[in-house]
Amino acid sequence: MKLAPVDYVILALYFAFVLGIGWRLRKRISSSGDFLTSGRSVPVWITSLAFIAANLGAVELVGMAGSGAKYGIMTAHFYWLGAIPAMLFMGIFMMPFYYGSKARSVPEYLKMRFDEKTRAFNAFSFAIMTIFSSGISMYALGLLLRLVLGWSFDVSVLASAAIVLAYTFLGGLTSAIYNEVLQFLLIVMGFAPLAILSVNKAGGWQGMVARLPPNMTHAWRYMGSPTDNPMGVEIFGMVAGLGFVLSFGYWCTNFLVVQRAMAADSMSAARRTPLIGTLPKMFLPFIVILPGIAALVLSKMNLGYAFPLKTTGGPDYDQVLTTLMAQFYPAGLLGVGLTGLMASFMSGMAGNVTAFNTVFTYDIYQSYIRPGAPDHHYLTVGRVTTVVGVLLSIGAAYLATRFNDIMDLLQLVFGCVNAPLFATFLLGMFWKRTTAHGAFAGLSLGTLAAVLTLSSTTAEGKGGWIAHLHTFPSQMAQNFWIAIIAFTTCFVISIAVSMFTTPRTDKDMEGLVYGLTKVPHDATAKWYQRPAPLTVIVVILLLILNIWFR
Amino acid sequence: MDLRVPSGSFFTLIGLILLGMGAFAPHMGAAPLTTENVNVYSGAAMLVFGLFLLLMAWRATRLEKGSNT
Repeated sequence: MKLAPVDYVILALYFAFVLGIGWRLRKRISSSGDFLTSGRSVPVWITSLAFIAANLGAVELVGMAGSGAKYGIMTAHFYWLGAIPAMLFMGIFMMPFYYGSKARSVPEYLKMRFDEKTRAFNAFSFAIMTIFSSGISMYALGLLLRLVLGWSFDVSVLASAAIVLAYTFLGGLTSAIYNEVLQFLLIVMGFAPLAILSVNKAGGWQGMVARLPPNMTHAWRYMGSPTDNPMGVEIFGMVAGLGFVLSFGYWCTNFLVVQRAMAADSMSAARRTPLIGTLPKMFLPFIVILPGIAALVLSKMNLGYAFPLKTTGGPDYDQVLTTLMAQFYPAGLLGVGLTGLMASFMSGMAGNVTAFNTVFTYDIYQSYIRPGAPDHHYLTVGRVTTVVGVLLSIGAAYLATRFNDIMDLLQLVFGCVNAPLFATFLLGMFWKRTTAHGAFAGLSLGTLAAVLTLSSTTAEGKGGWIAHLHTFPSQMAQNFWIAIIAFTTCFVISIAVSMFTTPRTDKDMEGLVYGLTKVPHDATAKWYQRPAPLTVIVVILLLILNIWFR
Repeated sequence: MDLRVPSGSFFTLIGLILLGMGAFAPHMGAAPLTTENVNVYSGAAMLVFGLFLLLMAWRATRLEKGSNT
């Protein structure tokens, strides 16, 4: 792929705007709250788009197109079965406790509801996870740009990290969120033409259906047995593992996304953030997954498009998106597409960095290192942590270049971390009998169960370092089942230990638990500002999509 | 800061660049599988979207001024 001068102009223009937004917002920062939590002042349409953009990193964008080519339309379950129901649940049922508790972070909520040890467990694991996630995505981007454009790995990694650092350092969370919206719009604008062009060339959806085996173009029909569908998953693993545990675990407890909703300017706006976010989120598969499926069709049509291969042989799914861009985008639009790819990387990284600095400053530094200092001290710590966070991510990216397998393993582990945590939140928010000891025992044993399952089962040649108790038909199936086991372990242990330990008094848990919290009813608000009608619309659209692509 | 102003300006500019490319250099850096002048189509879409955002922002400031006086 070769870029023309105009493509560089577009890329430079984008960098200028991103930095300009950070520069303009720097004056809004006068306290640690402004810097780390946006002072709860961001309008709802902005938080809604940021909510989904923070998750739309380069690894996701490139990965979804690759999964489209590998698994077909079943990949859309990550959206239509997983993310959307979870986002609805988060907005309707969980946000009142998050926002109403006045907690500044997810770990801080755990401290208020349970105690210090559960918070510490979550704060430390989350901090480590964000650093490595952002490092891994930086590594992936550097590798891709070197492969596709011949850019130097060092320059791509360091330059993009420097830009993210500049705007998050200047304007804190507000700047990250504002830029995420611009990035989201650019991703849509930059990749929608690719979807239209590639699907059209492949004969439209009907043409694709005719040219592919039927299990690539049906999301539900071939889920009876793992051997029938390309993902190697059966319906229970899919619905319980991905649809329930993994998706609810990610969208409802991962501070990276929850932080965006918590920055909203009112309780009503915070609840509507994930609800409104579902509307664009629902249609993202058409932009990010369909081109991948189209690539597979095009490679069989003798048009001159060859499916990308690894140097060692075998398909290279990570290159699906970029090879399509090279085939369909002329100079100009190619620049927009490439800028969209950079934008997705930056939104993912800024999401990690801003979540990391909040958790570090409030849940680690203010809690265990230096409590009781004046606020301007924490503002400084927040800024310094932003720099340190970016440096650590760069370190993680270079670690990935040397220890590729370890990073692979870490990604597998991270995939399971949120699964037991969702059980902790479910019990903590909806069963007031849950005790602090119960939650901690459940969470630690649930996490242990995840790691043990991963090390005693194998899939596609991975895992099974301790024993070979079971072989899963695919890594997806392994991932989903680990989540189910971790969630169940945490759920059962938390209940059992809670029954034998003393719960807190009702008065201590006001605003934190269902039944002891006044859930707002916006009866006076206009219909489209109330959660219920919005949810009904989303559910109807979701059903239509699932039935259409069944 | 109203985010619609920078986003609107950004897409207006990108739209103009793509329209320019499509109009004055339709064959520069042509893509193997694309026959249509996609720079014109996507440029026009981005220009319209950018102007729409700017219009919304302008309307908001006008309403704000109106309520202040």
